[in-house]
Amino acid sequence: MNESSIATARFTYIHDRKWPSAAIDVHHVIVRQSNLKGLLVCLLAFGFSANGLYLFMVLDKSPFALLWSLLLSSILLKLGIGKSVLKESVMIMPHFGVQLETHYKSGRISRRFVPVSTILKPLLLEHVNPVTSYWVLSLILLKEEELTPVFKELHLPLKMLVPIWKELCGSVSGDNDSSVHSNVEDHEQSV
Amino acid sequence: MAPEKQRILMVSDFFYPNFGGVENHIYYLSQCLLELGHKVVVMTHAYGNRSGVRYMTGGLKVYYVPWRPFVMQNTLPTFYGTLPIIRTILIREQISLVHGHQAFSTLCHEALMHARTMGYKVVFTDHSLYGFSDVGSIHMNKVLQFTLADVTQAICVSHTSKENTVLRSGIPPEKVYMIPNAVDTAMFKPAEERPGGNEIVIVVISRLVYRKGADLLVEVIPEVCRLYPNVRFIVGGDGPKRVRLEEMREKHSLQDRVDMLGAVPHASVRSVLISGHIFLNSSLTEAFCIAILEAASCGLLTVSTRVGGVPEVLPEDMVVLAEPDPADMVLAIKKAISLLPEIDPQVMHERMKKLYDWHDVAKRTEIVYDRALKCPNQPLLGRLSRYLSCGSWAGKLFCLVMIIDFLLLHLLQLWQPEEDIDKVPDFVIPPVEISSAFDQEQDD
Repeated sequence: MNESSIATARFTYIHDRKWPSAAIDVHHVIVRQSNLKGLLVCLLAFGFSANGLYLFMVLDKSPFALLWSLLLSSILLKLGIGKSVLKESVMIMPHFGVQLETHYKSGRISRRFVPVSTILKPLLLEHVNPVTSYWVLSLILLKEEELTPVFKELHLPLKMLVPIWKELCGSVSGDNDSSVHSNVEDHEQSV
Repeated sequence: MAPEKQRILMVSDFFYPNFGGVENHIYYLSQCLLELGHKVVVMTHAYGNRSGVRYMTGGLKVYYVPWRPFVMQNTLPTFYGTLPIIRTILIREQISLVHGHQAFSTLCHEALMHARTMGYKVVFTDHSLYGFSDVGSIHMNKVLQFTLADVTQAICVSHTSKENTVLRSGIPPEKVYMIPNAVDTAMFKPAEERPGGNEIVIVVISRLVYRKGADLLVEVIPEVCRLYPNVRFIVGGDGPKRVRLEEMREKHSLQDRVDMLGAVPHASVRSVLISGHIFLNSSLTEAFCIAILEAASCGLLTVSTRVGGVPEVLPEDMVVLAEPDPADMVLAIKKAISLLPEIDPQVMHERMKKLYDWHDVAKRTEIVYDRALKCPNQPLLGRLSRYLSCGSWAGKLFCLVMIIDFLLLHLLQLWQPEEDIDKVPDFVIPPVEISSAFDQEQDD
């Protein structure tokens, strides 16, 4: 079993080739928990809530102040701590397909299997939203208008996406070539 | 010594797929800078579904940031809302200099403000003239004063525009350079054969709005048609004043002598121009007027109002100027008709090729970039003193805005450190495709 890894402050990427023939190619990305960031977010949220409570109970202000403070705290917690993703994995099974997995802290695992025959091309694209821009690894699938992101929740650095993209390209192009050859052989036999 | 190759971010609310003077300027300047070896990235707002990263000819990368425009193609001004995306683009593209365009662009002002806070050198190009007395102009001038208080260098498209910008913003005139616009002479070529016959065709292509003198046309066209039975008008363009022109046409029964084409796509402008002999521009204010350059490049004699920077654009034998008054404009058209036999469209086109060239504009802009980058860096306190001179109340407000921007930037640096932002690899496209169009044109 071959294993290699890349680590950043936020993520650890592990590339794992399973079984003696290295037939299955697994890429894990594990989220590194930032205690300091989580603590800061919790303190800030606590501060907003405490301020709202103080305004409502001690200074006799309108209950809307408390509601706004609680709303702000919940938004802060949601943004700061996030959807609590533990890890995301990509399992490449040549000639068969790609399994995309997302593991959450709550224990829930979201899985999607994409047959290799439906993958037209894996792409590295730049995504732009109103506040930032980052790289996204996506799949163009047959008969689907929208791109399918390989990593649903995490925004990974390019150095982690590139090896996965290369493996996906190799796996998809190998299967596309073999399907072309088999089509040509079938045609020659029929003629 | 040749200027160093830079990585430039052009920012404006006005870019393709919109068509106009500013949009053309940014596009052609960017293409020529790419050919000179610089890296150019454009940032603008999303246009409908056109959102995200796009690549244009020559590898010009464009960020269509999904901030919806709220009025007249301008992004909603939020002061600090665009700080995260601008910071991200500046870092991931490893930009060395930011070039903003157009005083009316809120995205430009915000980008220049954030870029200065981050320590980048910034250049601003003003494309329009503004007044001093109406409410809109007073507010616009205050915003411009804020932006230009700390800009490294500024560029104006005519001497008149430079004077106007200096008076409006209070920027020292030695910081302002005059680099005119140019025209794509490869695209705007005269017809092989000039339109013949006794008929004289006068072409008008502009937005039919007050500022472009559409009301003058309503007075001028019937009078010219009355004086010259062999004159015909072709009016291209659309806008709120189109109704007035249609009414004029009906009132004077000029349906067979005045053709209203409606909005003309930019790609079709040349085909309209070469069907005429004279180009009529009736603008009430113009910093430069690329339209008359396009007309002259197509071999048309121009009749224009003497406003703004228009007198600086063409040589005296290529343009007949008039005051923005119907009687004076009719006299100018009369003079232009008498000059027509002396006009050779091909000779005019060749002269335009020598006078105006986007490569020349790019080289001059390169010099401005070079000088901007040589300016010393100033810490925040030094820069704040420039804002204080903007007014007794406004100065303090501007300082507060910059201090908050500075604090927000540091907060953002804690939230998303620079190391977490991926640098974009460079995709080099050889400049052969861009040069071949110009080389072919020269061979012709």
